[in-house]
Amino acid sequence: MAYCVNCGVELDKSLRACPLCNTPVVNPADLAAPKSAVDPFPAKRAVIERAKRSDVAILVSVILLATMAASGLLNLLLYRTGAWSLAIIGGCVVGWVICVPVLIYTRLPIYVSILLDGLSVALYLYLISITAAQGVDWLLKLGFPILTLAVVLAEVMTLLIRHVNHSFLGVSTYVITSIALMCGGIEGVIDLYFHGHASLGWSAVVITVCAVIDAALITILSRRRLRGEVRRRLHF
Amino acid sequence: MTIKRRDDETWYKLDLSATVYPTLQSRRYSAIYRIRARLTKPVDPKLMQQALDLALPRFPTFKTAMRKGLFWRYLEPNDRPGPFIQEDIRNSCLPLPFHACNRYLVRLYYYDRSVSLEMHHSLADGTGGMCLMQTMLAQYLKLQGVDVPPEGFVFDIDAPADSAEIEDAYRRYATARVKPPRKSDPTYLMHGTAEDFYTLNTIIGVAPVSEVIATAKRYGGTVTEYLCAALLQALLQVQREEHRRKELPVRLAMPVNLRRFFPSVTVRNFISMVYPCIDPRLGEYTFAEIVDETRGYLRYYVNSHFLRGDITKNSSTERNPASRITPLFIKDLAISTAYRFVQNRNSSAGITNMGNLAVPDAMRPYIEQFDICMGQPYSRRTNCSIISYNDRLTMNFSSTIIEADVERYFFRQLVRDGIHVLIESNKEYPEDTGI
Repeated sequence: MAYCVNCGVELDKSLRACPLCNTPVVNPADLAAPKSAVDPFPAKRAVIERAKRSDVAILVSVILLATMAASGLLNLLLYRTGAWSLAIIGGCVVGWVICVPVLIYTRLPIYVSILLDGLSVALYLYLISITAAQGVDWLLKLGFPILTLAVVLAEVMTLLIRHVNHSFLGVSTYVITSIALMCGGIEGVIDLYFHGHASLGWSAVVITVCAVIDAALITILSRRRLRGEVRRRLHF
Repeated sequence: MTIKRRDDETWYKLDLSATVYPTLQSRRYSAIYRIRARLTKPVDPKLMQQALDLALPRFPTFKTAMRKGLFWRYLEPNDRPGPFIQEDIRNSCLPLPFHACNRYLVRLYYYDRSVSLEMHHSLADGTGGMCLMQTMLAQYLKLQGVDVPPEGFVFDIDAPADSAEIEDAYRRYATARVKPPRKSDPTYLMHGTAEDFYTLNTIIGVAPVSEVIATAKRYGGTVTEYLCAALLQALLQVQREEHRRKELPVRLAMPVNLRRFFPSVTVRNFISMVYPCIDPRLGEYTFAEIVDETRGYLRYYVNSHFLRGDITKNSSTERNPASRITPLFIKDLAISTAYRFVQNRNSSAGITNMGNLAVPDAMRPYIEQFDICMGQPYSRRTNCSIISYNDRLTMNFSSTIIEADVERYFFRQLVRDGIHVLIESNKEYPEDTGI
């Protein structure tokens, strides 16, 4: 019979410590020959079965492959007007590549998975360009540059979030800056494609607004007291 | 309520309480409770399985599977094999997916001298579960040659189920002419450290009933009032130690067995909740004052008039034509959100007292102890379930948090009042702690 020295409760013989205060049971009378007692609770623990990731990955892969095969066959045999099935096949490839880091190879570095996502979208754009009447010219001068800019911005933002500042205010600054750069880049690339020279138009408005917001955010971030005040009043 | 479609096909509407529990169902949570009986001899699993097979068909609403309709869920008779008795596990009250265990919502475990029945709350409340448990134990003893006459919680398995036993008793008594508004006051919420998934920490305190009754009398209250007060005080102490800028009232969610006030023999859910509360903002309370306050609250609110108002209010929501024609998935979303942000935040802890358990005299020599467990709390807090049998009052605390501060203050109060408490627990200590 052992009592907890802190709580005053009697402890079951199977207990090695008081479950209320975690004080170990040391009973001098039992030190020489500890009594064996039947634990009132079984030792076996159960786990909840759930669908394995690999099973889900196989299911997703089969569904996407079946969709690709079915649309390809329909395009080849039944509805032969244009290579429309390439758009569906490309969409399925993009979907599968996006699933890779979640379901198949979870230890894939995030930078590599973003790069693979970009490559799969590039492949999708290429498949669309095969079917489109304009050829691959727009792809090289419009599609790829915008995609490259988006991938680079996503990589840089991920790097900043992981290694510099991942607070809500910090992430907001990166997102706002990325929006400004993306808009500027899109307008520049479009201008180059259609007019042969780049100039700032509508994106200047976006960049100005983003710059003002960024300036406010950076001020808040750099002042500790201001930062604390904003967090206190705007937490959610 | 039973609805006959064809001669061979019967299905059951969920009762008022039972409509809520399946909406909370997730991979991490099921509204499961456990009734455990410790016998005087080791359990024979084969005989116990036979006893369950004999007893379960007597309760047609328990031998069912949960199904989804377009507007409501319902229970459908389940003729699949099972449920089967299995070896007990340390982390009890595991979530119970509706499609697992051959779709049964009942599980039975054995370990050494103990047999444990786990039931989904959408089938029955503690009283209903106890009926199945004791009827099954009576069959188990009968198979060993002990004659147990049907009385109290033990049902006659040869008699057909009466329609009154499977009625939704809420509907019969939802007759108040006014619907009292639901109160939702700010309440202290515990923020313990979550245990690993899935771990249910159980701490059971066993005390002599006579000592607890004598102590409660000394404070001028009943056992329930005294134990509620001890839990409220423990929560007040935990809150004080957090050094909060603004202290909040501590409130308990306590189910009341409505059969005490409204005659019914239903084995399904028939409970209503009351919320005894102490507000530390009004000043320091001594323990005797907390007992007085709890006593006053329970005397004022736990009576047929207030409870009838509660039933009517809850029932009116279910009977509202707009809510009836709302598709189930929208109802699920609305109910689970309301539960999470309103109902769950309306209490700091849960407590239930099944009282002194009636067991047929012929069974008493073979059963040493009963304990009940309210199962996994919906949020990070602790639930306390109390039951008395054979001068043993068991207080079962179950939680999914590492800290046991509430339990510690609760039991220390009992010890301070001169009650002898024996503690059992399923807590495990990692090897590196040296314990």
